[in-house]
Amino acid sequence: MPVFKTPFNGYSVKFSPFHESRLAVATAQNFGILGNGRLHVLSLPPAPASPLTELISFDTADGVYDLAWSESHDSLLIAGVADGSVKLYDTALPPAQNPLRSLQEHTREVHSVDYNPTRRDSFITASWDDTIKLWTLDRPASIRTFKEHAYCVYSAAWNPRHTDVFASASGDCTVRIWDVREPGSTMIIPGHDFEILCCDWNKYDDCIIATASVDKSIRVWDVRSFRAPISVLNGHGYAVRKVKFSPHHRNLMVSCSYDMSVCMWDFMVEDALVGRYDHHTEFAVGVDMSVLVDGLMASTGWDELVYVWQHGTDPRAP
Amino acid sequence: MASNPRPSDNNPPLKPWERAGGSSGATPFKPPSAGSTSDVVDASGTARPGEIVQSSGNTTNNINAVGRPVPSRPWEQNYSTSNYGGYNSTLNYNSGYGSGMYGSSYGGIGGSYGGVGGSYGGGMYGNNMYRGGYGGLYGSGMYGGGMYNSGLGGTMGGYGMGMGGPYGAQDPNNPFGEPPSPPGFWISFLRVLQGVVNFFGRLSILIDQNTQAFHMFMTALLQLFDRSGMLYGELARFVLRLLGIKTKPRKVNPQGPNGHPHPGLEGTGANPLYIEGPKPAPSGSWDNVWANDAGK
Repeated sequence: MPVFKTPFNGYSVKFSPFHESRLAVATAQNFGILGNGRLHVLSLPPAPASPLTELISFDTADGVYDLAWSESHDSLLIAGVADGSVKLYDTALPPAQNPLRSLQEHTREVHSVDYNPTRRDSFITASWDDTIKLWTLDRPASIRTFKEHAYCVYSAAWNPRHTDVFASASGDCTVRIWDVREPGSTMIIPGHDFEILCCDWNKYDDCIIATASVDKSIRVWDVRSFRAPISVLNGHGYAVRKVKFSPHHRNLMVSCSYDMSVCMWDFMVEDALVGRYDHHTEFAVGVDMSVLVDGLMASTGWDELVYVWQHGTDPRAP
Repeated sequence: MASNPRPSDNNPPLKPWERAGGSSGATPFKPPSAGSTSDVVDASGTARPGEIVQSSGNTTNNINAVGRPVPSRPWEQNYSTSNYGGYNSTLNYNSGYGSGMYGSSYGGIGGSYGGVGGSYGGGMYGNNMYRGGYGGLYGSGMYGGGMYNSGLGGTMGGYGMGMGGPYGAQDPNNPFGEPPSPPGFWISFLRVLQGVVNFFGRLSILIDQNTQAFHMFMTALLQLFDRSGMLYGELARFVLRLLGIKTKPRKVNPQGPNGHPHPGLEGTGANPLYIEGPKPAPSGSWDNVWANDAGK
């Protein structure tokens, strides 16, 4: 399956919700510690044997840690940049006319961006300044700021069915559930004993949430009874960087980790680990599953490679 | 994998889970409100557009009833200007720097104040000297009159002399010309430091997330130095060659057995040969290569 070599270290990859052959990659120079960043928009080749082609790329003055495709317009892309800015790009316009907007409110690195998939007019950003901000395209500034976490917020994700609800994962070892109409968080889940790096909602059960942590485990929670996790998935050798539920199957989720592997899990069965991919030679920090093509996956990592493959096949196979 | 004709510019195809319909039933969430996100938030009265939040200390700790005590982030380790500016205002001056890399250089302030204090020399860089300098200002609780008048004072002075100059201003580690220096220096210094702190901040977050990352970084750094060392070595050789200076590898006068110089090389012009060419077999025979009478 196709591979793409990025000049910088990969940080995040996302499939377009509009075009099944399009994806975007966020990268940062020098492992995101110092230097520039670049956003690539890639296209899958018609034949699986050919390489991925780049449609366009945008340079930034600091590393790009995450990106999100707009759900309201097929060419809009939002980037979370390490200098604290949130940038909007129109991939249909040349780099000279981009970014369309640069929103500078976070005082520290922006670590995650998520676009509201149901109402489709807003997105949230999570930052190392301990806050989550809610933005809409029709306002030049953020609408509101959610500040309760006591440490960096690494990720925030919208509930796929409840358009006003989202969850955030933080280094203070909690996951918080928020409703944009409420002044404070509506739920606090002390999920792990170590930092929580990512969270995601189950797409078919709106009360189930998964968390990925530095303690190497993934836990699955039911927000109606979050005293104990439904399931604990062990198998990664180092901190789990991202976790994502399958858009097509209720029980499946994919994760990537500092142990350089990408894993597929079925959290409802005893032997939860259903697939492990060791194609990356450095930390695997970005993973996604296509919403449009069942089983199509993409991953990126610090080895500066983007892989796209069908679940069950070898990502490195030509 | 042909591209699907896109449904419309403004609406992506239905998500697979939306097509599947129904969710698990009862949920703890309030039913969604109608209208756009901006309207909904405005109507709820929670909107606070464009709020800028500094990360340090913004969070209300009583909400954080769960979770472990969080570490202080590298970019907020008491680098506030009040600590720097208020020389006379605070005693916990050194506490903000921790014990690590900054300890010694900031200790220099202690030295300079020692100088102002009049007696104690800049030589002692630690907390003690610093507080010593303040002894006069803050009462003599700790050091008492002994510092100034008695044998103890003498001892302190002695330390100062021993370790550096007797006066703060002469302290080679003193970052100031004359004490007290204006706080403006610190502020500008802080700005330079900000970039460094940023760098270490990201690094430390990475280490937070994974100790392996730190190992990788150090390996990469070492490799970089290693390569640059080679690069500069080769470059220097190339420049010297251009200048017509032939750089020969350093001659090695190898030791023969028993520590004597190799007899076959003594006083002959064959020295370079020893390294660059094959060594002639002594006496045409290998039998006595390692014997003392080789080549005789």
